Amino acid sequence: MKYAMNMIKRFFIFCILLLQLQTMEAQFTRADLQATGLTCALCSNAINKALGILPFVASVKADIKNSSFSIVFKPGASVNPDEISKAVEDAGFFVGSLQLTGTFSGLEVKPGGLVKIGQYWFRFYKPGLNKLTGQTVKLMDKSFLTAKEFKKISAGAVPSLKTGRAERGMEKDGIKSGERIYHISN
Amino acid sequence: MIQRGADAQIKQGYNAPEVALPSATGDTVRLSSLKGKVVLLDFWASWCGPCRVSNKGLAKLYPKFKDKGFEILGVSLDEDHADWQKAVKKDKISWLQVIDDGGWESVTVNKWRISAIPTSYLINKEGVLIAMDLEGKELEKALRQLLGE
Repeated sequence: MKYAMNMIKRFFIFCILLLQLQTMEAQFTRADLQATGLTCALCSNAINKALGILPFVASVKADIKNSSFSIVFKPGASVNPDEISKAVEDAGFFVGSLQLTGTFSGLEVKPGGLVKIGQYWFRFYKPGLNKLTGQTVKLMDKSFLTAKEFKKISAGAVPSLKTGRAERGMEKDGIKSGERIYHISN
Repeated sequence: MIQRGADAQIKQGYNAPEVALPSATGDTVRLSSLKGKVVLLDFWASWCGPCRVSNKGLAKLYPKFKDKGFEILGVSLDEDHADWQKAVKKDKISWLQVIDDGGWESVTVNKWRISAIPTSYLINKEGVLIAMDLEGKELEKALRQLLGE
């Protein structure tokens, strides 16, 4: 009996430690997405549905006041932004903007503006930026902005913005050449 | 493909499923109570631009046919009742209006498998679905036929 109690106690301590580890890791918790297209994006249930079936999405709600979709992610799930844009495009629309909110406190930004959040690498789209301020980042890659805005921000951006992939020489930071890199702004 | 089948919208030639929703005063309005009239069941919301444009067309059409056995039952998906009422006033809506305030999660949207708004169904005097998304001249033509003009 005493042995069993001990085991239970140990198990609980293990669980608490595990929980702490999880909360310490940088993760996205929610997102705000604006969709663009030929017709009114909120007037179609297609985007709601397409986002709702993504494995890392807990819920999607149309935010009428801001003409956007408010997405809540499953806790601890690996958020894949490319799958979000693919879902929106499959529904017949494009992403006009995607803002990701999460816990970034104490996160180390490497020289070159590189930071790992969840499973993926993110990089500040402009050279010289390397501070995460606030809880939200905006994706600056081609598939997360309107064509017009992307063209505007491309001038003077880091070279990897063009391809969305790691350049050679990033191996020293632990990023393979050609690996997906998302670009962000605060 | 199975999913597609399950998601398919309600078909013409079938009896219209019941709609029983509150009006602005809170009274329940039933689609079945309109049997004997030709009904246009119109799904919309105040935040839906194309729906508001469509309202303008309906506001012109409605007075032409309302005394000849035609009724419009507007179903709003607005979550905010005040937004709904503001739009009703602004668009000068004088036809029957009810609300299912759950947005895309609302029961009626599910039951009727609405995937986008505006969506409208034309229902004959016997409560059978005749056509979907008719507008302007086409809607008028169908109404004249159904009302036996």
